[in-house]
Amino acid sequence: MKTRRQVLKQSLAPMIVPSVVLGQRSGQVAPSDKVVMGGIGIGSRGAHDLSKILKFSDAKFLAICDVRNERRETIKSTVDKAYGNRDCKMYSDQYELLARPDIDAVLIATGDRWHTPLSIIAAQHGKDVYCEKPCSMSIEESWALAQAFQRYNRLYQAGCQRRNGANFKLCRELLQSGALGKLKTLYANVGPSVNWPPLPSRDWLAGEDLPPQGVLDWDRWLGPAPWRPYHPSYVQGGWRNYYDFHGGGILEWGSHTVDLCHWAADLDDTQPVEYEPIGGNTGPYAVNCRYADGVQLIMRDNGWDGALDTGSCSFRIEGENGWVETGDKTRIASSDNIKPLLRPTEPAPMALENHMREFITCVRTRRTPSANAAAAANSHVTCHAAFIAFQRGKKLTWSVEKREFTNDDIANRMRSRALREPWRI
Amino acid sequence: MPQNNKRPEPPAELREGDIARLDAAALVKILTNPAATEFQKAKACQRAGELGATEAIPALAALLADEKLSAYARYGLEPMAAPAASEALRNSLGKLKGNQLLGVIASLGKRRDTAALPALVKLMQRPDAALAQAAAAAVGSIGTPEAARALESALPKATGMMQIVLADSALVCAERFLADGQRDQGLALYTFLSGPRIPRAARHGAMSAIVREETSTRRPRATP
Repeated sequence: MKTRRQVLKQSLAPMIVPSVVLGQRSGQVAPSDKVVMGGIGIGSRGAHDLSKILKFSDAKFLAICDVRNERRETIKSTVDKAYGNRDCKMYSDQYELLARPDIDAVLIATGDRWHTPLSIIAAQHGKDVYCEKPCSMSIEESWALAQAFQRYNRLYQAGCQRRNGANFKLCRELLQSGALGKLKTLYANVGPSVNWPPLPSRDWLAGEDLPPQGVLDWDRWLGPAPWRPYHPSYVQGGWRNYYDFHGGGILEWGSHTVDLCHWAADLDDTQPVEYEPIGGNTGPYAVNCRYADGVQLIMRDNGWDGALDTGSCSFRIEGENGWVETGDKTRIASSDNIKPLLRPTEPAPMALENHMREFITCVRTRRTPSANAAAAANSHVTCHAAFIAFQRGKKLTWSVEKREFTNDDIANRMRSRALREPWRI
Repeated sequence: MPQNNKRPEPPAELREGDIARLDAAALVKILTNPAATEFQKAKACQRAGELGATEAIPALAALLADEKLSAYARYGLEPMAAPAASEALRNSLGKLKGNQLLGVIASLGKRRDTAALPALVKLMQRPDAALAQAAAAAVGSIGTPEAARALESALPKATGMMQIVLADSALVCAERFLADGQRDQGLALYTFLSGPRIPRAARHGAMSAIVREETSTRRPRATP
C-alpha cells in the first residue's frame, strides 16, 4: 500500500502540463492567444477572405451570420470541415453574433449597402473589423466610418489587399525612395464600363414572388437601401450596377486603385480639390483630378488588364525621372531607367493572405492596419466625389477643409443618402 | 476579360427615363398624383432631394408615412438646407409610428435640428426600445448641452442595448462639442463616460478620447 506522501508525489508529475496540451508546440498558438472571429454576409468574395483566416493557427472562426439560409449552412459546413468539429454557430441577426463576448473581430463581406452601418455597429460592440470594399455608399458614410473607429479605438482593415501585394509595394518603394523623382501624376484604373458603367442604373426590375422568410429575409437583405420589389437577380449578385446598391465602376475598382495611389504617395489623409469627368456611360471614361499641391490623379477606364497588360486593378505612378505600372498580373512595366531596380515579386493571391495576416497580427498587437478606417475614408471620399462629378457631368471643385463642393449645390446634396428605416449611422 | 452575364432588363414602366430631368413643378405633380406609381414617386423623391426642390417639401412630407416610400421621402428632405424641411420632419413626429417614425427621428438627428430636441428627449423615455434608441441617437447627434444632460440623466438607469446606444450617443455628443470648439464640455462628458457603469467599449472610447485630447498638439497650453 502506498503512503499518502507517495501518492501526492506521484500525482505532481501530471500537474506539469505538457506544452502540446496548450497548443504551443510546432508554432501553435495557445487558445487564449487566438483571435476569435465571426463573419457577417459571407458570399463568394467573403469565402476567399475566410479561406485565409482558416489557414492561420492564431485565428479561430466561430460564428456566421447571414440573411440567406443557404449561405449560413455553406459557411458553417466549410468552417466545421476545416476545424474538424461542429463549433461554428449560425445566426440570422447580427446583434446576436456581436453580443458574444468571446468574439474579438468580424469579417464583413455583405453587399456594399451594409458595409458602413454594420462596421459601425460592430465597433459599438467593441469588435475589430475586416470589411470588404467599397467600404461606403456615400461621402457621409465614409467620414462616419472613420469617426466611429476612432471613437471606439477599434481596428479596421478595409479589403484593399493590394496594399500588401509585393509588386504594388515595390512600386511604392520606387516612388518613396526617390527613384522616380518628384511625383507628377497618379493613374488609377477604374472599373471597365463594359462591366460596371460609371453611372449605375436607377431603374427597378419587375417584382417577383418573395421566397419564404426562412430562405431569404428580403427586408434584412435590403437593409439600409431603399425599398424596391424583390427580384432574385439582385440576391444572386445582380445588385451591382444599381444606384441604390452600388457606386458603379468608379467605386468598384477605384476603392482599390485610388486607394493604392493614396497609399503609394502618402496621400492617406487628403483628397483632390478638382474632379473633371471625361466620356460617357458606355466606352472608356475618365475623371481627371488634381490635389492642392498640383499632383494629378487620373481615374481611367483602361479595360480589364490595362493598356500595358499588367492585369486588373492596375495603377501607375509617373515622376519627373521615370514611371512604373502594375496590376494583378504582378508584372511591373516601367521606364527603361527603372528596369534595373525591379526584382521578382510574389504571386498575386499572396496579397490577400498577407493582408488578412496583417489584420490578425494587428488585432493581437494593437498596431494600426495599413488599410485603416481613416485611410479608407479619404480614398473613398475621393471616389465618391469623382462619382458625383460624373453624375453631374461637370467639373467640380472641393474644399478638403470644409468637406464640401465649392461650385455645385446639387453635388453637395448628393454627399449623403438617407438610410432606410430603422437603420442609421 | 470578365464581362457581365446576361442580366434581366427593367420593364419600361420601371425605368427612370425623363424623371431624372424634371423640374420642381413637374416633380410635385408626380408626388401629388394619386395615379402615379410607387416607382415614379420614388424617383421623383430622389430627384427632388438632389435638385433641392423646396416646392416639393409638403408632397415629400405626405409620403413619410408610406411604408415603402418613406425612405425615399427622407432622401428628398434630408439634404435640403431649407428650415421648412426640418419643420416638415418635426411636424410628422406625432403622426407616425413604427419604422417610419424611427426614420424621421434619424433625419432630424442628422440635420441637428435643435427645435426637435424636447420632443426627442421625451421619445427617448418611451418603453418601445427601438423608438427610445433611435431618439437617443438623434439627441446625441444634435449635440447641445441640453442633449448631453438628457443622455447623462438616462444612462445610469439603462441596461442592455439601450445602454450601448445611450453611451454611443453621448460619445457622438462629446465629439460635437469638440468640433464646435466647446472643449471643456466635451472633456467633461468623456470623463462621465469613463465611469465604471458605462459599457466597456464606450468607456474605453471615452478614455482614449481624453488621452487623445490632452496630448494633442492643438490642446490649449498653460501660460506661465
